[in-house]
Amino acid sequence: MEDIFGQLSQQAINGITIGGVYALIAIGYTMVYGVLSMLNFAHGELYMIGGFTGWWVLQIFSINHVPVMNAALLISLMIVLSMAVSALLGLAIERIAYRPLRKAPRMNLLLSSLGVSIFIQNFILYFQGAKVKVFHISHLIPEGIRTFHVGGVVISFMRIIVILACFFLMVILTLIIKKTNIGKSIRATAQDIEAAAFMGIDTDKIIVIVFLIGSALGGAAGILVSLLFTQVDYYVGFQAGLKGFTAAVLGGIGSIPGAMAGGLLLGICEAMAVTFFPSAYKDVVAFAILIAVLIFRPQGLMGERIREKV
Amino acid sequence: MMKRVMALLVSLFFLLSGQAVMANDVSKGLHVGNAGSFTGDAAAPCMEIFNSSQLAVDEWNARGGIQGVQIKHVMGDDALDPAQGINVARKFTSDELMYGVVGPPVSHIAQASLKIYGQSNLACITTAASKPELTDSGYKHFFRVNARNDAHGWNCALFIKKNLKAKRVAILNEKVAYCENMAQQTIKGLKKLGITDIMNDTIVAGSKDFSAVLTKVKAYKPDVLFFIATTAPDQAIGVRQAKELGIEAIFFGTEGARDKNDFIAASEGAAQGAYVYHFSPDIYSIPAASAYIKSYEKKYGSLSGFGPPAYEAMNILLTAIDLAAKDGNISRPEVISNLSAIANYNGILGFPVSFDEKGDLLGGATYFFKVNGKEFEQVAVLTGK
Repeated sequence: MEDIFGQLSQQAINGITIGGVYALIAIGYTMVYGVLSMLNFAHGELYMIGGFTGWWVLQIFSINHVPVMNAALLISLMIVLSMAVSALLGLAIERIAYRPLRKAPRMNLLLSSLGVSIFIQNFILYFQGAKVKVFHISHLIPEGIRTFHVGGVVISFMRIIVILACFFLMVILTLIIKKTNIGKSIRATAQDIEAAAFMGIDTDKIIVIVFLIGSALGGAAGILVSLLFTQVDYYVGFQAGLKGFTAAVLGGIGSIPGAMAGGLLLGICEAMAVTFFPSAYKDVVAFAILIAVLIFRPQGLMGERIREKV
Repeated sequence: MMKRVMALLVSLFFLLSGQAVMANDVSKGLHVGNAGSFTGDAAAPCMEIFNSSQLAVDEWNARGGIQGVQIKHVMGDDALDPAQGINVARKFTSDELMYGVVGPPVSHIAQASLKIYGQSNLACITTAASKPELTDSGYKHFFRVNARNDAHGWNCALFIKKNLKAKRVAILNEKVAYCENMAQQTIKGLKKLGITDIMNDTIVAGSKDFSAVLTKVKAYKPDVLFFIATTAPDQAIGVRQAKELGIEAIFFGTEGARDKNDFIAASEGAAQGAYVYHFSPDIYSIPAASAYIKSYEKKYGSLSGFGPPAYEAMNILLTAIDLAAKDGNISRPEVISNLSAIANYNGILGFPVSFDEKGDLLGGATYFFKVNGKEFEQVAVLTGK
């Protein structure tokens, strides 16, 4: 019995880490859906680009896998630059592939985003190859603090960084959305884009900001996961995008707190499911929960019920 | 009506006779194919297979080719997708000048496409696909220079029991044909050897996070963790996360893990003391292979275990084609019958290659390695005893 308890607390740690990452990805989906009512399928690729950017930063600033600068500084630099590159790419995608289609039917936008996703994946495949890129991080973390034992539970240093970074970013985002003028404009645009424009909000600018924030968070998720699992390849965005999208729907697409809750819930459910079922069924359990939630709460956990206007 | 039936019969006759008289003039050209997953997760070992085959082809061409004809080596990429594997098979079989194929190296892709190669009598030599059923299907055109899974499974069970002295074993396998089979065969062997405390669970390839299932393994407290994944990067993550969680079991990986870069270096020390099995011996210890190693490393860089069998397979294939082309004419069935007649071919693998009546490697062996520092050290060879 004690064994099961120990195992479950370990799984909770596993679940919170990956759940925090799912949440960051889900936020990107949900914010874009909020203002444009479109699913940005290229979002998973921004996550992948985040991972690759981090790898290059690590590569450039280390000689024989030994970093040339302070490790904490290097990790921060990796995260910041990954976010920056993903954000810029997100902007470019919005400008090139989505804005010209703003007035077109939603289906065109959806297809455009799929096209962008395939393009980026193959672009990276072509220029970076199919081989996984390995993060040599052992010199970033001093020997003594790589893992911590709390009771029977093991937490690695990287896991702590990932969990803290995820929650830090989520808190910052919540503050921006709730307390600043830009946040207010984003909320207004999400509620009704035309009315927001009438009120003097530059909705084009808001859409750009939404892409900027969403893509940056996607990039952050990418580099955090890559640091944790020490590998990135051109294909990681697909799976991550799928999970992030699921988390967004679970939480109620369009709702930012929903995306956060959905991501965490999905991550924890997946990890817990492995304790009781063969691990091949972890996605089955995760998606069964999604279906159950959608049956009983079609708007998702925190989504707003949209009333049919008469 | 009668006319139509006649026309049909006549065209049918031409079709059939076309099939029967496939013997071509050698001077029209000679193509050999290489089917594999040159993009995707298995790209690194598959490129090693391709490059090694290319080396063999280049050497034959430098010697003047076959009957004065230069051999063309054609790549067929299936991207680790069985559906694309079928496309490759169609492409290769419809190439009239193609007389043999090296590959496919991945079991589930071989399973999907072998029938198509067989319908056109195109010989295939795989260098890595080890699922037993592949040669149990009665194919005449299919050969392998690697040992089958059941040979490996039994040898691995022996190794776990005798060399690693385990009493409790956890087995994780990726849900694809090769891994699932390997797990089943090993479990069968372990039970036969009296080990019944076995945990059997699965992992998802490429998911990069095995911590949830490894947490379960930790609670089971096994002596050995047999981690059956296809690719080295996945096993590097496996060994790394196992160490991170404080799993004390001996980590035992598969042939895919025998990769200095993607397994040992990528795990940054976590792989120290881990074991892997492989279908080919430490190629550096075989004198006959030194010329091959030298030219491979000069041209393509570092070598893992996947290249040597491919070099051998291509040489065997070209030997069979050479024999078939002696009279100036060549046909696919000729190549197949020459291949089945290959006996005690002495190449670079360190043992004479012969095929049994199913096309399997006669007397297949499994080699075991231990990670020591940056190298793999061969610690045992088991041949089912």
